Formats: sequence, structure tokens, C-alpha cells
Amino acid sequence: MPRDRQNPMWSVIGTFTAITVPLALTAGVALWSLADPLADPVGGWLGAVADRWAGVAAWYGAGPVDAKPDWQAMRLQVMNGDAARGRATFVEYGCGACHVIPGVSGAIGTVGPSLAGFADRAYIAGVLTNAPGDLTRWLINPPLFAPDTAMPDLGVTDGAAADMAAYLYTLGDGA
Amino acid sequence: MIPETTLGRYDVQSAFVAAGTGAEHTLFLTHLLFWAAGGIFFVVMSIALWAWHRNAAPRAWWVWLGGVVVPVIALSSLIVGSTFTLAAIGRVDRDALVIEVTGYQYWWNVVYDPGGAALRDANEIVLPEGVPVTFRLKSDDVIHSFWVPSISGKMDMIPGRVNELTVTATKAGRFRGQCAEFCGLSHPLMAFEVVVLPPAEFSAFLAGLEGEARDADTLQLVQGRDVFLNGGCAACHAIRGVATGARLGPDLTRVGGRASLGAGMWRMNVGNLAGWIADVQDMKPGANMPSFNQLSGPDLRAVAHYLDSLK
Repeated sequence: MPRDRQNPMWSVIGTFTAITVPLALTAGVALWSLADPLADPVGGWLGAVADRWAGVAAWYGAGPVDAKPDWQAMRLQVMNGDAARGRATFVEYGCGACHVIPGVSGAIGTVGPSLAGFADRAYIAGVLTNAPGDLTRWLINPPLFAPDTAMPDLGVTDGAAADMAAYLYTLGDGA
Repeated sequence: MIPETTLGRYDVQSAFVAAGTGAEHTLFLTHLLFWAAGGIFFVVMSIALWAWHRNAAPRAWWVWLGGVVVPVIALSSLIVGSTFTLAAIGRVDRDALVIEVTGYQYWWNVVYDPGGAALRDANEIVLPEGVPVTFRLKSDDVIHSFWVPSISGKMDMIPGRVNELTVTATKAGRFRGQCAEFCGLSHPLMAFEVVVLPPAEFSAFLAGLEGEARDADTLQLVQGRDVFLNGGCAACHAIRGVATGARLGPDLTRVGGRASLGAGMWRMNVGNLAGWIADVQDMKPGANMPSFNQLSGPDLRAVAHYLDSLK
């Protein structure tokens, strides 16, 4: 037996390790669980993954409260659409010149219909069903679906259309 | 880097962000006054505190010094400072490039070099960096006031008079001006953008103003141009090369190239243009332009796209 093993210092170190390591691990897990799971600690490359998981989380968040899926809410989830970004996008394209859009600064136009309660509408401009795919396609090129419409093709990009659609679907229940 | 537009920005319309000689002089005087007054306040309060603790009989020479001599010196030097500042701001340079700005309810007509080339534009004023420019300020209807806080002080625009204001912009960038005299229902919606360009780019800009408007080169743009000509727009608005002569409304030769619509109030894009044409009285109550809500949907779209294409 090596001489060192007889040194009482080893039992002190052993006991110390046996107590502190599990404690540290427990504390570490506890702290980790406090951190935002969607936060991006390394900056940049995890962002896309975090965004995707934020989408999934939103999907679940909008889902069942009573263990039954809320199909009405789920069918209005817009893929890659960010309602907060969409709200700013309406200003960029000048939508408020023609439409009342609750929550969008200066959007008090009376040229076209008010977009209040948009999530509850059945049709878009009377020609398309009010679903995410149809709504984004409509926002990108309205005259394609309604040749006589006064609503111009505003050069909206795919991403901006998805964001705006996501915001419009937050306007429901009288909002 | 010149920002895309001044809409929603607060740091481009402020006398504390000086970008012209007039604003710089005023800002210097402001700082001088503030710190001098602060220093005097501090000294007076210190003496008051000291006197409180000193507990001695008052002395007449203190009253003479603090009540008469020091104020006379301080106020006299302020008079000298503000007189020189006023002289520097108010000097009119007759040899500088003249830009004639006329206030209308509720927009600005801008003519570069009115005696010579007379290049007409509206609602956006482009200035050369570091070169003095003399504004000839007029009004067509009521009293307006021309104010670009970052460049210079206010100057009223009075019907029947020509007021002159020489400024030198010292920083390239985009700034904001505003009508500063209540002029009617839409007075708060009467703003404009000021773009300060390096002299070479400014010359290019002026050269660009001489040309005709961009051609309508798609079916929709041609339709839009026809709507412009047949719908009555040309009675008030001119587009060089398409319809000239009308002077009641802003010149639209490069309307799509401006950063904002409705005298500095909305972003320039097809959406705002279409909403503006269809219901201008809703966007700018009291404007002289009527709402063109009798245009068919496709016609409205076409003319909005056409105007947006004029860059």
C-alpha cells in the first residue's frame, strides 16, 4: 500500500469532494434551470435554433388549455411570422394610410376596411379564405387575386408578409 | 452615412444638434449664458451662505459691487456677445446660391437659383455642405415660418414680402424642418426634410433636377401616367416632360425620390401614395387637394405606382 494512502489528509479531501461535487452539481442544475432556455449564450449561431424553438413554444403556448387542441388558434399560427416585428412593418409599407389597424401608430385610414378583429374574419377581400398562406400571398400581391382591387402591390417581402399576418391574427375578439 | 428618412427621429430637429452656422452660433450663446448664469448663481449662493454664518454688520461697498458693478459688467458683456451672434446669423450673403422657398397651406415650394436655372422641387430641400446658401422666403397665402432648428433660427414667411436668410450647413446628413407659425388646420402636418450633401453630390443633384421625369416603361406605369393626365392631377401638379405649367401643387417630377410624402409626414411608398390620393382630406385635413376617391381600383394602383417610380 502506498504511503500516501495512510495520510489522513486524503480522507479529508475525499469527504470534502464527496460533499461539494454533488452540491455544486445540484446548485449548477438549479441555476441552469433558472436561466431562460431560449436565451442565446454564445451569440449568433444558436439564434436560428432558438428562434425555431420559440416558434414551437409559441405553438404549444397557443395550444390546449383543457387538454383539447385549440384548432382555431392553431390554424392562425403563421410559420416564421413575428407579430412584434409585423407591427413595425405596417408603418414601413404605409398600410395605415388606408386601414385602421389597432395598435399601429398613425394607422387611422378610412380608404379600405378597418383591420380590427381581423382574426375573426372568414374571408380576405371577399376572395381568399382567411388562413395564413392565403393572407401572406394576398399581402404580397393583392391584384393577383382581386384584379379590380384598389389595394396596390406594395413590394412586400415574404418575411414581412409573414410578420404582418402574424400581427393581424393577434387582432381578434373585438380587438 | 445619410439616414433614409427623418421620420420618427428626434435628433435631427433640435437646436442642440447644430449642423449649420446659425445653429452653432446660437448653441454657443446658449452654453455661454447657461454656464455664466450657473456660475453667478453658485457664487451668489456661496456668499449668501457665508454672510449667514458671518454675523456682521452689512457693508455698503458690497451692495455697490454685487448690485451694480458686477451686473453692469455681466449684462454688458452679454449684450456684446448676443449682438455679435445676431450680426453673424442675420448677415445676408448676396453672392451665395439662392434657394427660393414659398410656403403654401400646407407644403413648401422650393426653387433652386430662381434668377437663373429656376429648378422647381418641393417639400425637400437639398443643401451643399460648407457652402453658404441664401434662402428667399415667401408665402402664397397666410403667414408661415421657416424653421430648421439644426441649421438655423426661424424666419417668418409673410405674404407680399421676401425675407432673406443666409445659412451654411456644416454637416452632411438629413435634418428636419417645420412650419413654426400656426397657419391653419394642418399646420402641425407641415414639415420638410433637409438633405445636406457634399458639394460634388449637390451639383449632381442640381444637374438631375434639370432633366425630365423618368419614363413610364411598363404597362401599369403608362396607365398610371394616363390617369395622371386624364384624371385632373395635371391641373395642379407638374411633372417635367409629361405635364408642365401647373403650379398650384407640389412639383412631382421626382416625387418617388423624396424620402417622405405629404410635406415630411409619411414614408414615401406605394401604400401611402395610394391612401393619400384616395383620401388626402383624411390624412391632411384642410389641404387644397381633394380626395380622389372616384378613381377605379386599378387606376388608383397604377397612378400610385407611377408616382412612386418618379425618382
